[in-house]
Amino acid sequence: MENNRKKLISILSDVCPDVDFENETALVDDGLIESLDIVAIVTEIMAEFDVEITVDDLLPDNFNSADALLAMIEEKMN
Amino acid sequence: MTSKKWLIMFASTVVLFAVMLAGFNILTDPFGVFGDPIFDWTSYNATNNPRTAKISYLDKNHEKYDSYIIGCSSTSSFPVDAFNEIFDAKFYNLIMYGADMLDCEDMAKYVIENYEVKNIVLNVYLDNGIFFGDEPNEYTHSMLPRVDGSGFFDTVSFYTRFAFANPSYGIAKIKAKSSDTYLAQSFDVFDEKTGAYDKKKRDAEPIRNLADYYSAYPVFLYYPEHSGYSLPKTKECMDSVERIVRLCEESGVELTVVTAPVYADYIEYFDINDVINFYSSLAEVTDFWDFSYSSVSFEPRYFYDSTHFRNAVGYMAAARMGENSAYSDSFAEIIFEENGLEASTTAYIPDDFGYYVTAENANEYFASYANASAASYIDISKKVPVLMYHHISETQEGAGIITPEVFEDHIKALADNGYTAISFSDLYAYVNCSGSLPAKPIVITFDDGYTSNYEYAYPILEKYGMCSTIFVIGSAFGCDTYKDTGVEMLPHFGPNETIEMVKSGLIDIQSHTFDMHQSVSLEKTQAREHMAQLDGESEDDYISAIRSDINQSIVQLEDITDETVYVLAYPQGYYNDLVQTVLSEAGIKITLSTDWGVSTLIRGLPQSLFAMKRLSAGNGTDGEALITMIEGFTLN
Amino acid sequence: MYFISGTFILFLAVSVFLYYIVPARLKWVVLLAAGAVFYLSGGLASGLYLLFTAAATFISAIILDKLNEIKAEIPKSDKELQEKNKRQKKTVVTVCLILNFGMLFMLKYLGFSLDAIGNLLGKELSAPNLVMPLGVSFFIFQSIGYVIDVYRAKYRADRNFFKYLLFVSFFPLMIQGPISRHDKLASQLTAPHIFDADNLKNGIQRMLWGYFKKMVIADRAAVVVTTFFADHDSYGGAVAAFAVIMYCINLYCDFSGGIDITIGAARLFGITLEENFRRPIFSTSLAEYWRRWHITLGGWMRDYVFYPLSLSKGFGKIGKWARGKFGGKVGKILPTAMATFIVYFIIGIWHGASFRFIAYGFMNGAIITSSLLLAGTYSKLREKLRIDQSSIGWQIFSMIRTCLIVFIGRYITRSPNLTVGFELIGRTLNPFTFNFGEILSGTLLSLGLTSGDFAIIAVSCAAMLAVEYYCEYHGQLNDVLSKKNAFVQWLPLAAIMLAILLFGIMRGSYISSEFIYKQY
Repeated sequence: MENNRKKLISILSDVCPDVDFENETALVDDGLIESLDIVAIVTEIMAEFDVEITVDDLLPDNFNSADALLAMIEEKMN
Repeated sequence: MTSKKWLIMFASTVVLFAVMLAGFNILTDPFGVFGDPIFDWTSYNATNNPRTAKISYLDKNHEKYDSYIIGCSSTSSFPVDAFNEIFDAKFYNLIMYGADMLDCEDMAKYVIENYEVKNIVLNVYLDNGIFFGDEPNEYTHSMLPRVDGSGFFDTVSFYTRFAFANPSYGIAKIKAKSSDTYLAQSFDVFDEKTGAYDKKKRDAEPIRNLADYYSAYPVFLYYPEHSGYSLPKTKECMDSVERIVRLCEESGVELTVVTAPVYADYIEYFDINDVINFYSSLAEVTDFWDFSYSSVSFEPRYFYDSTHFRNAVGYMAAARMGENSAYSDSFAEIIFEENGLEASTTAYIPDDFGYYVTAENANEYFASYANASAASYIDISKKVPVLMYHHISETQEGAGIITPEVFEDHIKALADNGYTAISFSDLYAYVNCSGSLPAKPIVITFDDGYTSNYEYAYPILEKYGMCSTIFVIGSAFGCDTYKDTGVEMLPHFGPNETIEMVKSGLIDIQSHTFDMHQSVSLEKTQAREHMAQLDGESEDDYISAIRSDINQSIVQLEDITDETVYVLAYPQGYYNDLVQTVLSEAGIKITLSTDWGVSTLIRGLPQSLFAMKRLSAGNGTDGEALITMIEGFTLN
Repeated sequence: MYFISGTFILFLAVSVFLYYIVPARLKWVVLLAAGAVFYLSGGLASGLYLLFTAAATFISAIILDKLNEIKAEIPKSDKELQEKNKRQKKTVVTVCLILNFGMLFMLKYLGFSLDAIGNLLGKELSAPNLVMPLGVSFFIFQSIGYVIDVYRAKYRADRNFFKYLLFVSFFPLMIQGPISRHDKLASQLTAPHIFDADNLKNGIQRMLWGYFKKMVIADRAAVVVTTFFADHDSYGGAVAAFAVIMYCINLYCDFSGGIDITIGAARLFGITLEENFRRPIFSTSLAEYWRRWHITLGGWMRDYVFYPLSLSKGFGKIGKWARGKFGGKVGKILPTAMATFIVYFIIGIWHGASFRFIAYGFMNGAIITSSLLLAGTYSKLREKLRIDQSSIGWQIFSMIRTCLIVFIGRYITRSPNLTVGFELIGRTLNPFTFNFGEILSGTLLSLGLTSGDFAIIAVSCAAMLAVEYYCEYHGQLNDVLSKKNAFVQWLPLAAIMLAILLFGIMRGSYISSEFIYKQY
């Protein structure tokens, strides 16, 4: 569990080094990450976690915080 | 502030601006819809919208008129003054640009119901078969609600539209007021009193040969070769004419229907059978004077552009219509008698111009309608060389000075070569009346009125029986010193010589202005070398200077000669449209410039006698060379 | 009946009045009827295109909705049925896309395509002359977005055709968007809004601001642009640059002013539309510019083109291949870059059927893609030069750089063809043809405007920039203003109304251009 979270934060920080992913809860709504970042993040996640994320999953709610993302990933993994 | 209060503030601001806008539009009234309370400027308003402005004007002034000419813009050139004479009436020209027959019907109905009306002249133009019941622009082409019988809502919408019109119309009017001039500009094209287009300016422009006309009116060169125009509204138009005919019958109004001349290129846009159908449909509804298609249609100089014939042509039409009444040129009667001319004083009308179509003769008439063709060049125009001399001296030399010997050589050569010297009354008779010109006419003129003209030229002219005209400067008349200075100058002949020469019947004395040919070096203030506007002179001052000068000159000369002064040679050949206009108003019919060349006279166009070209020759040119020079112009 | 007419104002006032006096259940019908009047004033034929799109997307969405319901009942284990359901959904959505984009293609691009093909074949091919319906791209994009959202099961399909028709035809949106989303707009349209003075006030303020931008600034600047491009060979590079600047001003004020009017008009009915512009002049990069300019088109492209493309299987494969081939950064970014490129290419074509818009899309795509690929290099360079990215100096530099890029792009979009566009850019960049003297010698006054007009443009643009600056860094100006006393509130109101009246409406001698974006 913790492992997944660490892995995710590392992916995120790699894509957007300037954003504080530990504490932000409005990443999309505040414009901290843009569509290009989202796609970069998603492709990384798909490679690292071996899950399939489709367009239908690209809702702001799923991307607004690291925890929301993690929840989505873990749901897919099960 | 709460939002409600803000909304109230907003609404009040809207109302405030709306009231200001409406107030401005009503006060400036650029379309003459609200009675034009400040400017009272009908010619401006009518330019914006003739329909509204003319009715607003007539509602206040209709006692001055008892008859109306109604129609679209080509109606303008039917002359109010000639119609007044023919019909013994007081006409107002209710032309409305872009008018269709419904507009005409509304207007006829309105004037008949609201004013006292004796005659209506209705112009049916070819375009009336193209459009019917359109209002292409709601500001410039709309009718007052009281004229076209609008209902309540239309009336409200009409006045609202004008109250809230774009204020730039009103601002443009204020700006125009400050730049208003005597001659019409694009913003005040109507003449308030007659209702017609104010063509003072264009009727002051000299008309010369075709090449000159094309360069002044290049539009004639570029009419594209269209075809396929049709006349889909012929029936609607004629039904409307029929209602006008009936209305006039019922109201005891004398209706005369005319059809304006149409330029030949324009007729060619249509199928000629459609055109014939249009006019013969009219014949089924009413008798009418047809001027639509004749040799006139083929001569561009009889038109301002393809759909507007010249005022001068309007006079020819009026003359045709008035043949049976006592319509004739009273001015011609006077000068012909003075000059012993036996020409008829009836106005010039091309033979095939104007035909009264009735139900009986219509079939026959329209059978040959399409045969109209251009008149031959010789029929309607003539090149007339005018020679210009000044001083004659055996010893002096200089520009414009000639020795008696060379002068006699000139006159002899002219006589030997069959030239007939003619007077300006001959030119007038040829252009305006039924006069004719000799095969080889020549006009001999002298500017300034030097004593040498009397001493040398007069005897030579007498010897060869040639007539000539001398243009006298009033202030120098009989003087050998420059006015008020005592400075010596070439001597000018005086009353005695004048009387002697005039009595001979060979010499005509005309005007070279009274004092508009001043010497720059001898005047104390700004000299008026010629008839141009002085630096810093207002237009009003300029006009009154011209007026008083020409009147002084006319009175001075007529007192001595007892003959009419109607010709003027422009000092130094300077002329402009304004001078020409003011001179025409003062009774000057012919003016001469120093433009080099030979003028072409065109029958029916008085403007071909304006700023006529002249030729001059000095000691370097002998008689034979003179003839060659003249023939260089006349034979081509 | 476009926005700049007394008729529209009257029509709007009557609609608003009716909207608030009819019973709650009829309020949305007033909006629908108003839309019908507005649309049909543009001709019956164009109404039919709208009805066609509305019907096609309405039916497609209902079928998709049914398929979604079926899908929910299929057990997860039954892969075969799931696949079948997926295929069926794909078929429906494909047919719907083909119908609508086919119609759009026929209306907007057929002539251009036939020309291009004809040129290739050396034959003259001509397309039938069709009436271009009002705002055709806008309502098609909006309805397609709805169908795809239902396909993705984001929300349920609308069951009431007339309520759906209102979503497609809400009249303030008709001319130039913003392209709205069904989940955000539809419920607002059918909800019975009660009269609220705040809405009316905000709506009016927003509309006045839009009219000011459009009539006072944009229509004036347009005169220069038209005059210049009618005879672009007669001027030097400096005047060309000036005319293109005027075109930038014209385009922004015209489009965003029109959107202000749209948003304000919708607000009068209590409806809040999405913003379409967020002060693009303050963008620090071209990518940001496109997130601030025509936001709803960008959002549409992102959701319906960019995401599906970049997350598609094919792109995934390319990504894997690229990682293997180039490794690291480039491999990661390549699929994204390609998708970005395609999006800007489509945005280019969307603006108009011609090579210069294709080139324009190409240019935007190329710049943004390259900045993605070179992001690492840039940041290293900045480090070396010790540039602080958050410093004001760098921000201003970035804004100017972005403006310049956009400015160069406008040469291409406004020129009559690509060759002229490049030629004009060349003329501006070449010091021998720049000819700055023309600016000083009064050539500008031969471009159709008086010095008074230029003063009005300058002062108005300064006022607009000041307001935008305030909004960018301090928040909404009208909120602050509404706390001041009545006179202080009245002054700007009267000033803007007077400006619209005197410098906008009164410019009767100039033909008020229709909205430039109308046919997009």
